[in-house]
Amino acid sequence: MTDSLFSKGVTEALNFSAVERLCITEPDWLRERREHAWALYEQTPMPTTKLEEWRYTDLRKQLQLDTLSLSQATVVSDDPTAWPKRLRKAMKEDRQASGHIVVIDGHVVHSDLEAELIAKGVILSSLHDAIEQHPSLVENWLATEAVPPEEGKFAALNAALWSDGIFLYVPADVQLNTPIRVTRWLSEAGVAQFGRVLILAENASRISYVDEILSDDFSKQTFASNAVEIIAKERAQVQYVSVQRLGRGAFYQSVQRTLAYRDASLDTLNVALGASVSRVDLNACLLGERANSDMLGLYFGDDDQHFDFNTSQDHISPDTASDLLYKGALDAASRAVFRGIIRVKPTAQRTDAYQTNRNLLLSGNARADSLPNLEIEADDVKCSHGATVGELDPEAKFYLMSRGLSRIQAERLVVLGFLGEVLSKLPLGGVVEKVTRVIEEKLSQH
Amino acid sequence: MSSEPMSDTHILKIESLEAKVATENLDILNGVNLEIGKGEVHAIMGPNGSGKSTLAKILAGHPSYEATAGRVLFKGQNLFELDVDERSRAGIFLAFQYPVEIPGVSIANFLRTALQAHLVDEEELDIFEFTDMLTERMSMLEMDISFAERHVNDGFSGGEKKRNEILQMAVLRPTLAVMDETDSGLDIDALKIVANGVNKLTEEDPEMSILLITHYQRLLNYIKPDFVHVMVDGRLVRSGGPEIALELEKDGYKNWKDSGAVSSGVPKTA
Repeated sequence: MTDSLFSKGVTEALNFSAVERLCITEPDWLRERREHAWALYEQTPMPTTKLEEWRYTDLRKQLQLDTLSLSQATVVSDDPTAWPKRLRKAMKEDRQASGHIVVIDGHVVHSDLEAELIAKGVILSSLHDAIEQHPSLVENWLATEAVPPEEGKFAALNAALWSDGIFLYVPADVQLNTPIRVTRWLSEAGVAQFGRVLILAENASRISYVDEILSDDFSKQTFASNAVEIIAKERAQVQYVSVQRLGRGAFYQSVQRTLAYRDASLDTLNVALGASVSRVDLNACLLGERANSDMLGLYFGDDDQHFDFNTSQDHISPDTASDLLYKGALDAASRAVFRGIIRVKPTAQRTDAYQTNRNLLLSGNARADSLPNLEIEADDVKCSHGATVGELDPEAKFYLMSRGLSRIQAERLVVLGFLGEVLSKLPLGGVVEKVTRVIEEKLSQH
Repeated sequence: MSSEPMSDTHILKIESLEAKVATENLDILNGVNLEIGKGEVHAIMGPNGSGKSTLAKILAGHPSYEATAGRVLFKGQNLFELDVDERSRAGIFLAFQYPVEIPGVSIANFLRTALQAHLVDEEELDIFEFTDMLTERMSMLEMDISFAERHVNDGFSGGEKKRNEILQMAVLRPTLAVMDETDSGLDIDALKIVANGVNKLTEEDPEMSILLITHYQRLLNYIKPDFVHVMVDGRLVRSGGPEIALELEKDGYKNWKDSGAVSSGVPKTA
């Protein structure tokens, strides 16, 4: 691919006719949105390392856009015996749930929700079904306020080419006691897959949502793109958890924005364990007074895995709070980039905003770059940011080994303790155990 | 207990041990000889910088220290052939002068992992038996069970750190406990609690041997040693009974430092 083509990102698979094919059965408003998004995509140059936000992830080297085709997968039946074994295993490990969605190769193949919640007006469905059954809700919120195509090159691409997604709506005053569980599986190598999540929590509702994406290793680069839009209206409480366990060969890219209205609390946890390259852009918007967002992140890298987190905490209204904690351990030649910014607008007096990124290097070849930043335009605020990159403390290792633990057991305990701080802050049923087990598996290979 | 232990009851035998900091060339231990028999409590006293803590770290296998001459036999086995964790599993326990903080790891989880590591072959630690045992050990040491859920030494006071060392010792039940300046940083009440714990463990297991390393005599008011050795400039310059500690309390280490006294033979029988 020549430079100008790469810069535009138009390939044999990713082009306007692909957009048109998707629109055939869709309403006009959606067609217009996809076409608009595609136009923006073509106009927006591919980010290069000259841009601060992409300084450490060189798309020209790490993304083989022209080798990607669009998914050809047919819809798998809604029958667990037809699903991949690893997907079923991942679901089995989840404990309590209010409802499930299963996505295989971009198609929603299963969804269920407790009858009592359906009766209360909770909606959990594929985005396509939601567009047919609840068009105005979706039209209002899909790629508009949270992740519009104007957001950037990948947000535009996703808005033009998404194949399906998840829609979750919780009416006012409805509170779910157990999480909604989404499990996605990718099987096709060499494809580009575009999914979306739209969560709308009305006033004083409560919801937790756990989204796990996984696959085997890929023989050819596979691009998994995700756009996540979460809206918490007044006094709503929302917890969003993403667990990324894709196989090697995957390029995972996720743009997430959370909108927290007055007195809402909207917490996120991004767990990155898999994929060869993983890029997450997360923006938390504290729109209403006293809105609160806890933003947690955890990553564990080995081999030559590359993680890039780009976060921002936007305080728009007074008395808002955000607290970010991202922690990662990096083994072998893996690397992580964390770039975070706290922005406090002049209107957001009495903001409390914190940002912490800690990295533990387990190998001399691993690398972590941490770039915290503040942009404060109000004068009455409490803000702090901190970043550390450290190695495994040899005294801690000696201490544990002096109690009989082998070198590997000692390292495992220190790493799990280090990362465990993040998980203990959002202890949703089964997530801690599952993530701990996957980290243990990765550690045992080291 | 015999004051002349039979050689086959020796748990630890240190012969002409010389040692240094791995990255430096200066010897800190200059020929230490010491034998510890089954069930004996030995105390090594000495001024700062005499090499006491170096000896403790060499016995536990700290990677920053290196033996340059001599040998150490533990239950007849060459200690230097064992890695740090193997020494623990063989029955050596070092109570640290400065216990290390392990954030995010609960004491219960840590002890369970340690005890599991002490089991042979594929034997699986029974979680219920473990919990019962831990509860029993903690109640013996008059510790609140909630302590087990705290993260290892994370934010602990000096006294809590030392009590945590004794708890680990109580759970792992070593053959030889090396206690490095266990009294440092403790007020008298905390010191009594810690000493009381150690005494309960020796009552329970009279065959456990202890090597106390201390700068001050006061610990020896609460844990009674059978033998006291004085270390100066990396050598044991005098050995004898508890009376030596009282002499030191009165006269300090000055006489020893200036006299140029040297050790000869096996100090304990000298």
